[in-house]
Amino acid sequence: MVEYDELENRMILKLVYYGPAMSGKTTNLLQLHDILDQDNRGELTVLDTKNDRTLFFDLLPFFLIAPSGLKIKLKVFTVPGQVQHDATRKAVLQRADGVAFIADSQLTEETNNFESFKNLEQNLDFVGLDIEKIPLVVQFNKRDLQNIIPETDVTDAWEPTGIPVFMSSALLGKGVLDTFRRLLELTYEHVDRRYMLWDKHGLDKSKFVHQLTMRSDNEPLHEGI
Amino acid sequence: MTTDHIIGEEKSLKEIIKDIDIVPLFQDAVSAGVSGVILKDSSGEVLFQHGNSPEGTDHSADIPVKFEGEVAGNLVITGDRSSKYLVDSIGTIIHDALKLILKSRFKSLLASDTHETVIQQSYDELLETNNKLKLSEMKYRDLAGSLEKKVQERTDELKKAHAKLLQQEKIASVGQLAAGVAHEINNPLGFIASNINSLKQYVSKIKDMLLFYRSAFEEQGLTAGDRELSQEKWKKNNLDFILSDVDELVRESLTGADRVRKIVSDLKGFSHIDDVAGADIHVNDEIDRTLNILTHETPEDAEIIKEYNELPVIEGNAAQICQVFFNIILNAFQAKQLNLKLRIRTRHSGDHIRIDFSDNGPGIPDNITNRIFEPFFTTKEVGEGTGMGLNVAYDTVVSYGGTIDVYSVQGNGTTFSLVLPVKAGMNS
Ligand SMILES: Nc1nc2c(ncn2[C@@H]2O[C@H](COP(=O)(O)OP(=O)(O)OP(=O)(O)O)[C@@H](O)[C@H]2O)c(=O)[nH]1
Ligand SMILES: Nc1ncnc2c1ncn2[C@@H]1O[C@H](COP(=O)(O)OP(=O)(O)OP(=O)(O)O)[C@@H](O)[C@H]1O
Ligand SMILES: [Mg+2]
Ligand SMILES: [Mg+2]
Repeated sequence: MVEYDELENRMILKLVYYGPAMSGKTTNLLQLHDILDQDNRGELTVLDTKNDRTLFFDLLPFFLIAPSGLKIKLKVFTVPGQVQHDATRKAVLQRADGVAFIADSQLTEETNNFESFKNLEQNLDFVGLDIEKIPLVVQFNKRDLQNIIPETDVTDAWEPTGIPVFMSSALLGKGVLDTFRRLLELTYEHVDRRYMLWDKHGLDKSKFVHQLTMRSDNEPLHEGI
Repeated sequence: MTTDHIIGEEKSLKEIIKDIDIVPLFQDAVSAGVSGVILKDSSGEVLFQHGNSPEGTDHSADIPVKFEGEVAGNLVITGDRSSKYLVDSIGTIIHDALKLILKSRFKSLLASDTHETVIQQSYDELLETNNKLKLSEMKYRDLAGSLEKKVQERTDELKKAHAKLLQQEKIASVGQLAAGVAHEINNPLGFIASNINSLKQYVSKIKDMLLFYRSAFEEQGLTAGDRELSQEKWKKNNLDFILSDVDELVRESLTGADRVRKIVSDLKGFSHIDDVAGADIHVNDEIDRTLNILTHETPEDAEIIKEYNELPVIEGNAAQICQVFFNIILNAFQAKQLNLKLRIRTRHSGDHIRIDFSDNGPGIPDNITNRIFEPFFTTKEVGEGTGMGLNVAYDTVVSYGGTIDVYSVQGNGTTFSLVLPVKAGMNS
């Protein structure tokens, strides 16, 4: 549910990283923050609490201006994965324009993935969003670990749904950008249909995606010695 | 959904920043020497202001304030008497502090917003989550507390900038004092010197007469008793010695008086109290003047090697330039007490002159070379150095459009290299 202010010529898009506890949602955002050019993004706000578990959410904002002058702010959130924070998850999920579901590839986490995905379906419904329509990508994270679900099993299970699936290791920064990029593409298509980003604002998909996924030229800064 | 609260709702600068954060910061900036500080939002509306408005000021810095990747407002710092450098550096400090404030305030705002939002949601979940959320809200309150600490740190930096200004003023007033003292000394010194000169002439006449009497007495003296008496008195009064010493004594006094005169004139020259700003400066002469002033600080066996070349004049205030030389040369004297060699080389090339001060002292350790120009950075004992010397030198050189560089090999000496632009039209 895009927030669009015609008078101000502003649009606010909201993407949500969803998934079971400890699957690596926060790590995904940390990586994006590190990889992407700071000219196009704001600072990462991590509202974490004890033991690195997310209690509220994390927020990484992006900003770009379309050729028409339309200002677009893109806010990427994570939800807290722990079961008991369902109220917060619902609150964060409100008015989402796209969702990345981050699953944990470890065999031991299969049930948690399943429960969490079910929870996503319920909560989208609760906040009035349709899981069939909302831009959605899935990421199987922690591929660097042992005892993980084989890739073929994942594709077999997800291919029929048509939902794009990515293998990743957020810890090593692998697959993070691909997941984000695909989510941006789907979100663009979704928003373009209704707000005519190209026809009215001269912003095409590749430019939108490119601008938001520009890597920082500088290697990560190591301050001090 | 029945709630109006949307998580992550857009926030303006106005909503995020509180008076209590910003007012003391702006006050401190103004007391550190800028004339006004203004924070506007993106529509140009003034949110906070302290000090004068920018009209009619010499320099202002306009710093965009970014929030969530978007320019959300502008920070405008203005200064009139203050240097551009001061305005810019205080601008940077305030901007950094502002970023911190934004970040922390935004965090706690988000946390409490979330809390509110969640409370309005289903009651069953509420009981379960409420305690947890309360706990973490408390945590963000603590966080806001630590914000105060950070703001305090920034405030301390501003205080430092303020102290630096004071220090520079102090140096200026020491110069004034010196000039005053010089003036007071010059008068009595004048008649001391001229009196000694008269005394010298009188004494030579008295001496002449005395010797004449003596020889007259001894050849045709009245009685043998008188002669004996006279010789005895001569001896008793030690007149042989006195007559031989008196010339030396007067000469030494005159030399002494002359030295006092020279010191006083150097002192007066050094403080350049009579100079106008923007005068022509002859750098080689000023270095010599500074070396004279430092006679007492010069280690006894120090060897000072002057390699002066002919220089065009530079434009400015000679007192300030002397202060720079003074601070650099004194550091060299303090760095090595025995067998110090200090080579001072001046050169002209194109539109600038270059002055190198090279010593054979202990050098500066790599890990502090980038700190020596900081205010209050010193490796000297308490009471021995304030750490302002090089900082003042740096600021002065920069304000002349010049540069100051240091090359140092540990254990193998240090070179401070100044480059100053020559007066326009003087670069032959
Ligand atoms: N080995 C491995 N560990 C990972 C990977 N991604 C994340 N982790 C680790 O998993 C733990 C949890 O990661 P987070 O990103 O905090 O997980 P989260 O999904 O935000 O968790 P909650 O917010 O508490 O639900 C951390 O210790 C991460 O370092 C990965 O790709 N490989
Ligand atoms: N020629 C030099 N050789 C070795 N170290 C030097 C030399 N010049 C400066 N330093 C180092 O740089 C530091 C800073 O110098 P600066 O002149 O700013 O302060 P200070 O001499 O300690 O104190 P102040 O000049 O205010 O009395 C010194 O404490 C010293 O460690
Ligand atoms: Mg997390
Ligand atoms: Mg010094």
